[in-house]
Amino acid sequence: MPNGSHTIELPVSIENIWSFVSDMDKWAPLVPGYIEHQILSERQSTWSFKGDLGFMKKTVKLQIDIKEWIEPTKVTFDLKGLSDNFVGNGYFEAEAIDDSNTKMTGYLDITAKGAMGPMINTILKNFVPQTAKELSEAIANKIVEINKA
Amino acid sequence: MPANKPAQWDYEADVVVMGTGGAALVSAILAHDQGAKVIVLEKTHQIGGTTAFSGGVPWIPMNRYMKEAGIEDSRDKALTYIKRLTNGKEPNPELIEVYVDNGHKMIDYLHENTPLRFSIPKSYPEYYGYFPGTSKDGGRSLDPRPFDMNQIGEWGNLVRQNPTFPPLTLEEGGAIGAIDFTVIAERMENNIVTMGRSLVASLMKAILDRGIEVVVETAGKELVLNDAGDVIGLIAEKADGAKVSYGARKGVIIASGGFEWNKELIKTFLKGEITHPLTPFGNEGDGLIMAMEAGAALGNMSEAWWYPAMQDPTFEYEDRVMNQLGGGGRTGPNSIVVNKHGKRFVHEGTTYNDMPKAFYEYDPVNVEFPNEPPVWMIFDQQLKDKTMIITMMPGEDTPEWVNQANSIRELAEQIGVDPDGLEDQVSRWNEGAAKGVDPDFGRATTFFENLTGGGGSATANIGPINTAPFYALPIFFGSLGTSGGPKIDENGQVISLRGKAINGLYAAGNAAMGIMGQTYASAGGTLGPAMTFGYLAGIAAGKAESKDI
Repeated sequence: MPNGSHTIELPVSIENIWSFVSDMDKWAPLVPGYIEHQILSERQSTWSFKGDLGFMKKTVKLQIDIKEWIEPTKVTFDLKGLSDNFVGNGYFEAEAIDDSNTKMTGYLDITAKGAMGPMINTILKNFVPQTAKELSEAIANKIVEINKA
Repeated sequence: MPANKPAQWDYEADVVVMGTGGAALVSAILAHDQGAKVIVLEKTHQIGGTTAFSGGVPWIPMNRYMKEAGIEDSRDKALTYIKRLTNGKEPNPELIEVYVDNGHKMIDYLHENTPLRFSIPKSYPEYYGYFPGTSKDGGRSLDPRPFDMNQIGEWGNLVRQNPTFPPLTLEEGGAIGAIDFTVIAERMENNIVTMGRSLVASLMKAILDRGIEVVVETAGKELVLNDAGDVIGLIAEKADGAKVSYGARKGVIIASGGFEWNKELIKTFLKGEITHPLTPFGNEGDGLIMAMEAGAALGNMSEAWWYPAMQDPTFEYEDRVMNQLGGGGRTGPNSIVVNKHGKRFVHEGTTYNDMPKAFYEYDPVNVEFPNEPPVWMIFDQQLKDKTMIITMMPGEDTPEWVNQANSIRELAEQIGVDPDGLEDQVSRWNEGAAKGVDPDFGRATTFFENLTGGGGSATANIGPINTAPFYALPIFFGSLGTSGGPKIDENGQVISLRGKAINGLYAAGNAAMGIMGQTYASAGGTLGPAMTFGYLAGIAAGKAESKDI
């Protein structure tokens, strides 16, 4: 069960954070290795990205199904591989510290299945937390940048 | 032209070795052990070269592990086997004898003086098991034992990753399927390496124990000669383009790999145009160019260690789609390989070094190269259900990069192959398969096509392609490295165009003339001669008289 979470405090109100995070098109290009995404419905989207596994890169296609939109604090989702045999889930959570400061947490869990699962999960143990961290930080930086402007 | 002698050398040593693969590291160890001060230069940011990418298996007749296991071998037997394979086309028959006579001494030396240890892989016989002189019980191909990379500390991070083989030994299935992914996961967690990485890391431990200096991101580019034409050093280029000079009082050993990533050299020398090497990108023939500039004669230049390469395009290595071995499907029963006309052109189950030789066949009637890759592996659901093909596991969904169709005709149209030709070909194959024969190319008659099952058989290697969906995957012109380079003598010393040894210049491995000609004796057919001539070059250079540089 390779997983990872990353929490950041931002000098931005929870409403402003929600406004950015709730619009997938705004933050999609910030996903590490992002290639493309397609929104199929309010709750379903497909994604392609190139994961950096250290000594090699792997292009992966996956589907994300939003389970819950709890405005303005939480989005939870499930994911499954379209190109490869893996499943997972994750969430984004925002917690207001005060009117202009918010604690933001990103969580990601991906598990490879099938015969190669044990081997791939060993690689994912480093990859998943790193991706959760990089994505959370990229989103946080963008939000701060937008709200400064 | 070779470079002018600098007013002052930036660095001085007795022996400078170019490269960090098997041949290079063995030569460095041996030169050091003769009392020489040695510096090793590596072009890339990682060490291990082609060896780290490989199975790490040297093919060595009469080795100590065979004796321990009670496997009989002899000089005559080994030479009989090799000469049957070379068909008299080897560049210098004497060097074959030098190899057979010294390979086992090299293994003994490394056993006694380094942490490198091998096992004899069970159930892994020789590729030409039906030929005279073969070792029926195997044993000439030596499988590096797993090595704990933590023993070499930070250097472990610099040992080139092996994208080709998982961290299993040859016996455990690293190269032949039946893979236990749980063992792989454990090894990855604990930094235990096998195959080529084990060989490199074990030798690297010996290098570090001796205090031999290894410098990465430093590519040898020009030799420096004195007025007598002796090699006395080289000019190297750092990653930032800065030039650095290395004086070498006893000699330079070029062991920096082949030239399979240099398109110009490929076009100039090879019979077939390699497009998909399965080696590190640094192999651009730097050493070959340096030797040519110093007046070296060349040998075996039209040959390479050929390989029918395949790709899962979702994997990239150093920002290029990775070329892969492809798995066992090619020799499987419900599979054939066809050219653009939809026609078979080769026995698909011949060795990976032999099969691609059909790629460069010329048709003098139609004035074309009909088998020029990509050629196509055509197979059906029966094979997919039971065989791992590239990264596609049996029973799992078909990835979108695999061409598939419900009829042979539709499949042919999809991949741009003559549909009539392919339909006729599959029908003909299926007629033979119903009788368990292949009248066109003799499938089920060679040993290699069912290597671990006792040799080819109708059951293992012939079966109809008649169960939809049908699949097609491209096969490209690949290589495990080129095998031509400067001519060498029995000491690994480079020979000049005038037939004399060039004082101070040695070569080994894929950077040197391949002594076996077009022959790949069995697993380790590349590394066996490479390490043996690295051993001989190291001894000779280490013992050479010091020159005034």
